[in-house]
Amino acid sequence: MGIRSRSSVITGMGVINAIADGIPEFAASLRAGKSGIGFLNHPPEHVPVRIGAEIKDWKYIEALNSIHGLSDELRQRTKKSSLRSPFPVQVSVYSALQAWRMAELETKPAEPERIGLVIAGSNLSQHYIYRQNERFRESPEYLPPSYALHFMDTDHLGTISEILNIQGEGFTVGGASASGNIGLIKGAQLVQYGLVDVCLVVGAVADLSPMEWQGFHAIGAMGGKRFANDPSLSCRPFDRQHEGFIYGQGSACLVLESSESAARRGVRSVAEYLGGGIVLDANRLSDPTEKGEAKAMNIALQQSGIEPKDIDYISAHGTSSPLGDDTEIMAIRQVFREYTPQIWINSTKSLTGHCIYAAGMTEAVATVIQMQEGFVHPNLNLEQPIDDECRFVGKRSMDTELNMAMSNSFGFGGINSSIVLKKGERTEWQ
Amino acid sequence: MTEEKVFEIVKESIGEILFDLDLSLVQPQHSLKELGANSIDRMEITVRAMEMLSLKIPLVEFGKVSNIQGLVDILLTQKKAAG
Repeated sequence: MGIRSRSSVITGMGVINAIADGIPEFAASLRAGKSGIGFLNHPPEHVPVRIGAEIKDWKYIEALNSIHGLSDELRQRTKKSSLRSPFPVQVSVYSALQAWRMAELETKPAEPERIGLVIAGSNLSQHYIYRQNERFRESPEYLPPSYALHFMDTDHLGTISEILNIQGEGFTVGGASASGNIGLIKGAQLVQYGLVDVCLVVGAVADLSPMEWQGFHAIGAMGGKRFANDPSLSCRPFDRQHEGFIYGQGSACLVLESSESAARRGVRSVAEYLGGGIVLDANRLSDPTEKGEAKAMNIALQQSGIEPKDIDYISAHGTSSPLGDDTEIMAIRQVFREYTPQIWINSTKSLTGHCIYAAGMTEAVATVIQMQEGFVHPNLNLEQPIDDECRFVGKRSMDTELNMAMSNSFGFGGINSSIVLKKGERTEWQ
Repeated sequence: MTEEKVFEIVKESIGEILFDLDLSLVQPQHSLKELGANSIDRMEITVRAMEMLSLKIPLVEFGKVSNIQGLVDILLTQKKAAG
C-alpha cells in the first residue's frame, strides 16, 4: 500500500470546452461523440494554424448567470472580483463556480481555513501579455497598472480564493500537458495528509499567443496538415494517419474532499481518487519514453493498492501525435500485459482537442462521467488502429460498467503522470 | 479644454474601472477611495484618464492627490501646458 492516510473523494465538478458548457452537456457530448474541432473563429495572427477546438460564443456575465443555485451575494462578489479580469481567469472562475455549486459548498459550507486551492498550469496569461506588449511598445505610460497582478499565474489563485473565501493552502503547479494530473495529485495529497478537508483543483485554459502557436507549429507538434480542409478529421489519436495534436480551449475543476468531510457536510461523492504517480524522464525535450510512462502508471496502481487486472478503462493521453501515441500504447502493454485486451481505451482529445494545462482535469471529469453513466465515449477518426490488441472504443459509444479507471497525462520535459479513480455514488447531473 | 471636460473624462475612466458605480453621484470632492476604488483601481483610473487626454505625466505627481478635484487639477494644468 502507498501513502493513503485518508481517502479523498470527488464531490464537485465543473467544465467548459468546445463541446461542453457544464457537466450535463459534457456528458451528452461524450456519449454522442461530438467533435469540437473546426476552423478557428479567432486564428492566431501571423501563424499558419487554422484548426482547433474553441469555446464558442461565451460571454462571462451570461455564463455566470447560467449557473443555477448560487446566491446573489456570491454572484455579485464574483462580478466585483473578476469582471475586468483577463479571459483565462474568468474561465477558471467559471469552472470553479460550477464545481463549488455541485459540491454544495455554499449551502453546506466547510471551514474556509480547511479549504485548499490548486491552479494547474503555468504561463497562463500569454495572450494577455502579448496584447499588452503591443500597447507597451507604443506608450509604456499607458500600460494598465493592473498588469502587475494579471501577468502572474497567481491571479487565478487570488481571484478564485477571494470569490469563494478560500483560506487554506493554495498554489499553482506547472507540468506542461501533464499539469492537470499534477494539480489533481497535489490537491489529493493536501486532503490525504490532512492539511485541508476540501481542495479545489482548477485546470486553467491555455490562452496561447501567436508566439506559442508558432513555436508548437515550428517543432512539428501540431496536426491538421493532411486534413487541412476537413478539420473534423484532423484529430485522430491512435490512428495510423495521426500527425500531431490539435489545440483545445477548455478549463475544468474538481472538488476533492476527505470522505469524513463529505459525510459531515452530507454531500455525495461522484468518484474516489485512489492514487497517482508523477515521474520525470530526466529529459528536457518533447520526446516521451515508454519507461517513464510505464513507471507513472505502475506508481499510480501501487498508490491505489490495486492490480493491473482491476482497471476497466484507460483515459489515454492520446494526443494524436505519432510518437506520443505509439509510446503510450507500448507503455500500457508493458504495464497491463495479458490484461491489455480487456481494458477499454479512448482519448477525450479526439473530441475536445488538446486542452494542454486543463487536459488532465478535463479527462478526469470525462472519466468520472463515463463511470457514473456506464459508457465509454468513441475514439473519433480511429479507422486503422496502430495496435491490434488494445481494446480501443470504436466510432460509437459503448455501454459498459466501469468501476476503476486510469487517466494518463504526459508533458514536454519528460513529465509523466497517471491517476486512478474509482466510481462513486450514483448522481444525477443538474 | 475646460475643467468640466476633464472632470467628464475622469468620470468616464472611473466608470470603466468601477463598472457598478452610479456615475451621476460622482462629485469632484469625492475621493476615489470613498467611491470604492482600491489602490490598484485608483492607479488604473489615473492612467486611463491620462491616456484619454493623451497626456504622459509621471505617476509621482499624483502622490498628494486626495480627491477627484485634485486629479482634475493636475490633468487640466498639464493639458493646458501641453497646449
